[in-house]
Amino acid sequence: MRIPAGGVTLGGPVSNQPPTILHVDMDAFYASVEMRDDPSLRGLPVCVGGEADKRGVIAAASYEARRFGVHSAMPTAQARRLCPDLVLLPANFDKYTGVSREIMSIFHRYTPIVEPLSLDEAFLDASGTERLFGDAIAVGQRIKDDIKRELALVASIGVAPSKFLAKLASDLDKPDGFRVIQEDEIRTVLDPLPVSKIFGVGPRTAKRLESLGVLTVADLASRSRADVLREFGASGAWIHDLAHGIDTRRVSPNRVEKSHGMERTFAEDIGDPEELRLLLYEFCEEVSFELRNRGLRGRTVTLKARYANFKTVTRSKTVDIPINGGKRIYGVARELLAKIPEAPLRLLGVQVSNLSDVRAPIQTGLFNLPDPMRPDAPDSRTTEALDKLRRRFGRGTVVPASLLRRRSPKREREGEDEAK
Amino acid sequence: MKVLCEREKLREGLTVATSVIPMKSTRPAVENVYLVATDDALELVGTDLDVAVRFRIEDVKVEEPGTALIPARVAADFVRDLAGDTVTLRTKGDNLLIESGDDCCELTTIDPDEYPVVARFEESDSVRVMAATLTRLVSRTSFAAAREAGRYAMHGILTQTEGDELKMIATDGRRLAMASAALEDADAGSKSAIVPTKGMQLFCRVMDDPTELVAVHFGESQFCLKTTKAEVFARLIDGEFPRYSAVIPPSTENRLEADATTLTQKLKLVANVTSSDTRAVRLSMEKGALTIFGRSASTGEATAHMPVDFDGKPGTIAFNPDYLIDGLKNCESDTVRLEFNEKTSPGKFTLGENYVYIVMPITIDA
Repeated sequence: MRIPAGGVTLGGPVSNQPPTILHVDMDAFYASVEMRDDPSLRGLPVCVGGEADKRGVIAAASYEARRFGVHSAMPTAQARRLCPDLVLLPANFDKYTGVSREIMSIFHRYTPIVEPLSLDEAFLDASGTERLFGDAIAVGQRIKDDIKRELALVASIGVAPSKFLAKLASDLDKPDGFRVIQEDEIRTVLDPLPVSKIFGVGPRTAKRLESLGVLTVADLASRSRADVLREFGASGAWIHDLAHGIDTRRVSPNRVEKSHGMERTFAEDIGDPEELRLLLYEFCEEVSFELRNRGLRGRTVTLKARYANFKTVTRSKTVDIPINGGKRIYGVARELLAKIPEAPLRLLGVQVSNLSDVRAPIQTGLFNLPDPMRPDAPDSRTTEALDKLRRRFGRGTVVPASLLRRRSPKREREGEDEAK
Repeated sequence: MKVLCEREKLREGLTVATSVIPMKSTRPAVENVYLVATDDALELVGTDLDVAVRFRIEDVKVEEPGTALIPARVAADFVRDLAGDTVTLRTKGDNLLIESGDDCCELTTIDPDEYPVVARFEESDSVRVMAATLTRLVSRTSFAAAREAGRYAMHGILTQTEGDELKMIATDGRRLAMASAALEDADAGSKSAIVPTKGMQLFCRVMDDPTELVAVHFGESQFCLKTTKAEVFARLIDGEFPRYSAVIPPSTENRLEADATTLTQKLKLVANVTSSDTRAVRLSMEKGALTIFGRSASTGEATAHMPVDFDGKPGTIAFNPDYLIDGLKNCESDTVRLEFNEKTSPGKFTLGENYVYIVMPITIDA
C-alpha cells in the first residue's frame, strides 16, 4: 500500500519526508517541436495557431515570441500587432501526439504512476524508485536529460512533496527549469507569492481576497480557517489548505476522463445546413476515434452551437447503450442539430460524456435493439482496421466518403488548403 | 347540492381520488375533485387525463342532488382531520361547505363545465375476473415495465385474454415478466391492450376485497375496471408492444434449480461489492454447485457458493443482480428454475406456475 502523496500529517509538525511528486511541463511545446524539426525557424518568434483572418488564436508561443508579449490563447490578430514578424504555423496535432507518446514513454521508464494532464504535461509519483534510479530529484534529472538527449526538447520540472507544490515549482523556474521544494522550505517559497498562484484562485476570487486585504499566500495562510470558510464556502477550505501547502491529492495514473469532445470556431459564420451537417460528421468521426483510442465509449452526446450574436445553445441526448462509433455519435448529434433554431453559426461542437470503459460489462437487450458493441458486429472489425491505419499514417488517411469532397482533416491541419 | 355521508367513507373516496389527481396540471380544473350527488349516491371523480376514477359512496342521504368542483387536496386533508362521524357537504352560492359537528370549512368551487368528461363503465362485452387474480398478475409483471424515458410502448403492461385465460406481459427491453391466470368467464375471446403501469397500480388500489369478482372492459382507447365501489379508466398506450414471444427460448440446453430464498440471499451478498456502473454478477455452474461472483474495480470482489441441481454443460452466465432479485421477490415456489442456452442468450426463470421471467445476460469483455 502506498503512503498518500505529500505525506502530510494531520495537525502535527510537518514531517521531513523527501519530496516524491514530479511535475513535468514541456517548454512552449508545439512551437518547440516545430522549431526542432525545421532548423531555419530557430531564433525566430514562432507561434502555432490559427490565422488572424480566420479568427484564430495562438496555441503555443516560443520564448522568442513571448518576449513581444505574445502568449497562448491570445487572438492571432492581436499577436500580429504585438509582433509583426511573427512566424505563424498551423497546428499539426498528429505530430504533437506522437512526440507526446515518446515523452510519456520516457516517464514510464522510471515510474508507472504517471498522470498525464495534457499532451505536454504530467504528474509523476517517484516514491519507491530509490533503489532503482535514486530519489525523486535524481529521477527528475534523468527525465530532463532523457528528453533533451533523445527528443531534443526542453522540459521544466518541479519536484515537491505534493501536486500543488510540484506544479508551482516547475512554473517558478521556467523555461528550462528544475526546481525542488523541500518540506522545510514550503513556507519560504509560498509566503511571498501572490494568492493568484494558488490553484483554484481565479481573477474573481483574487479580487475578493484583495478586498479583504489578502494579497500574498502568507496573508491567506495567516487567516483563520473558519474565516476563509465563512467567506468562500467549501472552496475556502481548499484554498486555505493549499496556502498551508496541504494537498493530499494522489497522482492517479488512470484519471477518469469525464467527457471527450471537439468544437471549432469557423472563419466565417456558416448557415448552410448541409455544410454544418458535414462538419458535424467530421467532428463526430474525430471524437469517436479519440474515444476508441482511449478505450472508452459514452452514452451522452452534447451538441454546442454558437450563433453570430454569440448566443450559445447546447442540447444533449442520452442513449441506452454506450457508443463510440462515428456514425452512431453523428446519428444522435444530427438529431440534436436539427432541433436548434436554424441560423448561421459561428461555432459548432460535439461532446460525448457519461463515459465508460469498453471492457465494462454491457447489459444486452431483448429485442434486437442496436447492439453496436458486439465483437462480431460487421462494423467493429472494419473500424478496428481503419483505426490501425489512422494511427499509423495519420487521421486523415481514411475518411468517410461523404467527407471526401471536403478537405481531409489531416490536410487541413497541415494548412495546405485552408480556404474553402 | 346537499349530501350527508359517513366521514370514513368520504375520507376513503377522497384518498383514492387524490391518488390520481395531479398536484399541478396545465389544465388547472383537473387539480380538483368533482363531486356528483345523484338521488342515491355521491360520486367522487378524479383524473390526470391519463387515468380516471369514479368512486361511488352509497348509503348517503342526498337532500339536494347536484355537482361541485373543489380543490382536491385541501378537501381530502380537511376531511381526514375531522373528528365527527358524519359529514355534510352543501353548496352555498359559489362555495362548498364541509360541515361536521361544530367544525366547518368553506371551499371555493370552480365551474364544473371546465372539468373533462369522464367515461362510464360499459357492461357489455366485459370480462369477469377475481380481484386477487388481477392484483397478482399486476404485481408479478409491473416491476419489469420500463421506467426511463423513451420506448413508450414498454411503459405499460400488455394485457391479453385468450379463451378463459388472462395474461400480462411487461418488459423494459432487458428483462420481461409474463404471467397468466384463469378468468371467471369460460370464453372471453381474444383481446389485447397496453395498459399504463400507473393505471394498473391504481386498479389494484381500489380492489380491497380479494375475493370480489370485478369486471374489466377492453375499450377502444381505454382499459376499464369496475368494482362495487369504483370505476377506473386508463387511457391505453397507443404503440406497438415488442414481439415478446420471440425472446422466450422454446428449448434450452442448461437447466438449474435452486432454493429461491438461498439464491436471493447469496445474490444480495455478492451484489454488495458490485458498483452501480458495473452491476453484474457471474453465475458459474457445474453439477450440484453454483458459484456467484461479483467484482468492481473500485471496491473489490466477492464469491458465494450454494448447492443446486444442474443439468447441462458446466459454464457461466452473468446478470444484473438487481434484475434477478426483483424477480425472486415475486417467486411463489420454493425452488426457482433457470434455463438458458448460451451465456449471451436470454435466461428464462420459472418463478411459479404460469409465471416466467426472462432476463438478458450481461456480456463481460464485449
